[in-house]
Amino acid sequence: MSGSKEVLNVGIDLGTSRSAVSASNGQQHVIESYVGWPVDMVARKVLKKDILIGDEAVANRAMVDLRRPLERGLIKEGSEKDITAVKEILNHLLKLVGVSKDKKAPTVRAVVGIPAEAMRVNKQHLRNALQGTVDSLMIVSEPFAVAYGLDALLNSLVIDIGAGTTDFCVMRGRLPTEEDQRTLTVAGDSIDELLLKLILQKYPDAQITVYMVRQWKEKHGFVGSAQQPVKVTAPIKGRPTPLDITDAMKTACESIVEPIAETLLDLLPRIEPEFQEQVRNSIILSGGTSQIAGLRKALQDSLEPLGGGAVKSVKNPVFDGADGGLAIALDALDSEWDQLT
Amino acid sequence: MDRLKRQILRQAVDENLSTIEGRRLESSASNVTTSGRPTLLRWALVPILAVVLVVVVWAARPPLESWQQASRKPPQSDPTARLATASHEVDLTDRLLFPVPRPMDMRAFPLEVRRILLDPGHGGDDHGTLGGALAEKTLTLDIAQRLAKLLEKDGLEVEMTRRDDRRISLKERAAQANAWQADLFVSIHINWLATRQVRGIETYYLGPTDDPRLIELARLENRQSGYRLAEMKPLLEEIYTDYLQGQSLQLAQRVQRSLFASLHKVNPQLKNRGVKTAPFVVLVSTEMPAILAEVSCLSNQEEEELLSRPYYRDHIAQALARGIRGYADDIHQIEEKGS
Repeated sequence: MSGSKEVLNVGIDLGTSRSAVSASNGQQHVIESYVGWPVDMVARKVLKKDILIGDEAVANRAMVDLRRPLERGLIKEGSEKDITAVKEILNHLLKLVGVSKDKKAPTVRAVVGIPAEAMRVNKQHLRNALQGTVDSLMIVSEPFAVAYGLDALLNSLVIDIGAGTTDFCVMRGRLPTEEDQRTLTVAGDSIDELLLKLILQKYPDAQITVYMVRQWKEKHGFVGSAQQPVKVTAPIKGRPTPLDITDAMKTACESIVEPIAETLLDLLPRIEPEFQEQVRNSIILSGGTSQIAGLRKALQDSLEPLGGGAVKSVKNPVFDGADGGLAIALDALDSEWDQLT
Repeated sequence: MDRLKRQILRQAVDENLSTIEGRRLESSASNVTTSGRPTLLRWALVPILAVVLVVVVWAARPPLESWQQASRKPPQSDPTARLATASHEVDLTDRLLFPVPRPMDMRAFPLEVRRILLDPGHGGDDHGTLGGALAEKTLTLDIAQRLAKLLEKDGLEVEMTRRDDRRISLKERAAQANAWQADLFVSIHINWLATRQVRGIETYYLGPTDDPRLIELARLENRQSGYRLAEMKPLLEEIYTDYLQGQSLQLAQRVQRSLFASLHKVNPQLKNRGVKTAPFVVLVSTEMPAILAEVSCLSNQEEEELLSRPYYRDHIAQALARGIRGYADDIHQIEEKGS
């Protein structure tokens, strides 16, 4: 029971690539969903830490066993290390919003949004992993959290394009069921993989990593016509060399358009006919990968065979999921939180 | 807060409570083997009696010829309709009052795969999708015949819902599978996609169930049971649905993986459209693990060209066979480990 103790509500978007937190004390933070353990004694001594989270883990990846626990939207089954990594990310996010182990620390009620695929397959696994990190815990699918935060619970469609998965969720005025949701594994990661491959095809000697490619995509990614050539610098045989990756970027970013458009065209006609038009005109694009320039328009154009529609991007793809989680946390009744303790 | 939000939020809370119930059961299951507390005992007996029923049904299965009389579950909509519109929402209230241990895994039901019912989609005046001179009904029959030969070579018993060009309703197809007591039902279809540039394969099953937690419970408690079948039946009917879903997912994953891995080599543009759930009538009505595989796309011109070639159809059949064998092997291995 919460009693008279102060309460801190938090909404957490536990993503494949990035995780974000919004708390009722006004704090908001986002981190890379990476956890790293120093690989040996030397690394531990250099890093002076037993564990590194987020950007710090990525920055020191040469010295750590780097993990991103939610690959393709799923926690890797049977890996204790990945379960620990999920816990560490959650603990880190809580620390960032001011949660401490202090006895006077407020009661923490957390709503954690996870990729829809993990919700379907790993819900129990994740619940066990996260149990004990907060006082009360509710797990919801990420697209649902977004829809809740935006008050788009009736006759809308959320497309959450993350790193590991693209989740589709038709909101029909009820908690989404299996038939309301679809998941594709084409998302940010698949773009990165293809982009890396295409750049290496053009520049076989270029020394590039998926981390570099990811940064380039986030900065220059586009669908449709290029506003300007995409030129980056990477070492070739150790020497910084300018690379023109415009075509590779276009091809890689556009690789997700067709599968997403296909799924849209498959999903929309299955909705009750009287609501189809309304849903078609209330399509919400969320998730980090949805920020790729031109993607929203390309998806909107893909609705033409069904008579057209409107695809809107959320205002803040980084925090909309966490904000939705926070809205759920704030709206849940004390008695409900007590049940979830 | 408006009424709709409150209602949906309550559903989210209930869903979480349902998950918690599963965890609590699981965490106390290891302590219950000798304590025999009534609630936990009831949980423990579910899988045992499930096995008992399966064995009884197995022993009493009728010959194929009697399939016309034996459909237990009628389809939920017009038999000619490919999609059912019925919702498959879980009744959370019931689940909380009587927390049926949801997720089932094959390890809880160490059964053998012997009988495969292949269902070539469409037939007769139902041509299915068309691409140039090719009709889906012809292609599905051809692939099914090739697949049947491959599976029979492996010593499996194979039946087909049709062996020639004739129309069979979805109701009849499901009834045939149920009456023959098939262990697996594999429906073969060719897709048609609005965006014709896309070519892809996808495999459907009827909804998910995944929670490895119950498996151990089943293992612990499935050796001895003094319960009569009649005491178990109502419970079993509900849980059996979950069991089928879990098994269907496993089968769908095996088949989809095999199809993509195999076909991608000869058809590099092929997209893996993944394992999906959908309320296809044949999947709703069948009483065994069942999948519907969309093995190709007639809407794509290159794919149409490939499908016209026997070697590609053979490739599809071999991939399907590998997927089915893979699933069957999983079952056998688990059975061996458990024994």
